Amino acid sequence: MRTVHVEDGVAAPLEMLPILAPDRMAELLAGELTGLGFVRAGATCTRTEPDGIEVAIDLERAMVAVTLGAGAELAESVELSAQIAVEAVTSAEARLREDALRQLDDQVDARVVVLQREVTARLETKLAGLQRELDGAVGRATIAALTERAAQLGRIEASHLDEAGNLTIRVRL
Amino acid sequence: MAEPGLVSASERDLVLLARGLVSAQPAELRALLQRPRALPPVISSAAARLLGDALSHVWPALWRRGGTRRSAEIDATIDATIDRPADRAAQVAAPSPAEAMPLGHRAGRFWEHHAPVGLTFSLATLQLLRWLLATRLVAPAGSPLVLPAGAALTVGDQVMVYFALEAMDGTPAQAVLAAQPLVRAAALAWLGFADALGAHGAAVADPLASLCGGAGAIVVEALGDELARRWRAVELRKRAITAPEVLLALGAAQDATLGGFLAACDRHGRRDLAGFVIDAAAPLLRRGIAPMPDQLDPGATLGLRAAARLAAGALLRAVRVWAAWDQAHRGVRFIDDDYPVAQRLLARFEAIGGAGRARAEAWLTELAQLVPRPAPGPVLQ
Repeated sequence: MRTVHVEDGVAAPLEMLPILAPDRMAELLAGELTGLGFVRAGATCTRTEPDGIEVAIDLERAMVAVTLGAGAELAESVELSAQIAVEAVTSAEARLREDALRQLDDQVDARVVVLQREVTARLETKLAGLQRELDGAVGRATIAALTERAAQLGRIEASHLDEAGNLTIRVRL
Repeated sequence: MAEPGLVSASERDLVLLARGLVSAQPAELRALLQRPRALPPVISSAAARLLGDALSHVWPALWRRGGTRRSAEIDATIDATIDRPADRAAQVAAPSPAEAMPLGHRAGRFWEHHAPVGLTFSLATLQLLRWLLATRLVAPAGSPLVLPAGAALTVGDQVMVYFALEAMDGTPAQAVLAAQPLVRAAALAWLGFADALGAHGAAVADPLASLCGGAGAIVVEALGDELARRWRAVELRKRAITAPEVLLALGAAQDATLGGFLAACDRHGRRDLAGFVIDAAAPLLRRGIAPMPDQLDPGATLGLRAAARLAAGALLRAVRVWAAWDQAHRGVRFIDDDYPVAQRLLARFEAIGGAGRARAEAWLTELAQLVPRPAPGPVLQ
């Protein structure tokens, strides 16, 4: 029995515009992420998906890291036999043992590769949806930041968000 | 001048090899290198004279590669003692007239804006030539080509290494040569062949600064167009790479080379030497040819593929450094001492300009995305 663990992960920057001070931008993003089920611990927001995928967002660096790990206990066996002369039993047995170990290693390696590909495939499937979800959170945080910035400049008279995601804020100074 | 005297057959090959490398005749060189041969441990003084004569043509060879074009370069404010190796087998002065020139930037052909600078060759050049003749250039090579402990490559040695790598372009022999420790110790080899050397690790030769002053800087100036062509060709090849490990190794080598060289240029006040980055990237940015791989091996882990895509942006990161320099140059005022230089460099970056800079940033952002998108097609003009 051999226990193996495989992991895959990817990290990427979030496109946060520097509208307000970095710590305020981080606060706004954290607020949006909390609404999506993330748990905040200091400068990091994390969420573990039901399928085991972990999403961690570094608020200070505006980076997202997505990882998935999987473990398995592999029970592989190999049976080898050979017909040999009595006087060569010892050396032949040693050779067979070596061959068996090598074959076992190969079998385990092949299983690990399969497991690794499964993990990668699961992660890859998840990423597109996650990207959309995070883009939405970043977008809302950006709108909040723009509104806050506009309010600092004067009195907001009107704001309009069109279907393309363009925000117009009218401010009286 | 003394008569050259007789030389042995192996010495003749040694001299022919040196002449072939200097005059860039790859076909003849390959014929010469087809049959490895044993070489005596020493060469005669006649052969040494002939070898010195062959190496004396290195400057003209460099001029023929782009050194004759009219250009304006920043005045070298570098300490000329950067390239002063202890052991010199030959020293050849550039046959150009010395002129007293003002500080700032100088215009004209190389021999008009550079005082004569000696190009030195150490025993490493001889070692390289001997190894090339004695080795069967198939992977893996027999005895490695190693630089003796404590020895350093001169700029002349580096040029010969560059010529040798160039002569092997497109052949498996280039990979064998690129794996040799002596070759990997040549900063100029990294500047020209980071793709070939990077396949064996990204530990870039340390003395990149040796190319920012004295003879080294003139060599880089002369090879500027060629370097740009080489870097651009590698960028085009990136789109077809499918193995993430290959792209990762290539990107790491390019990042280390360009990062180190641009920092050295900056330290020595010779940002102009990094102009080949602009010449390499500008046409690609203009035509919308991003260095994004079309399809990385789907069997590789996501982490490896993401790292490989990120690595593919090495040249774009160098453009980003240039863009930061460009911003700084815009802040130099007319009354400042370095105003002419800043203006010159501003004009240099115009080939990329604001649009190119924005496109480079967009591509870098794209390369770092969580979910890779298909590479954009070229822009038709």
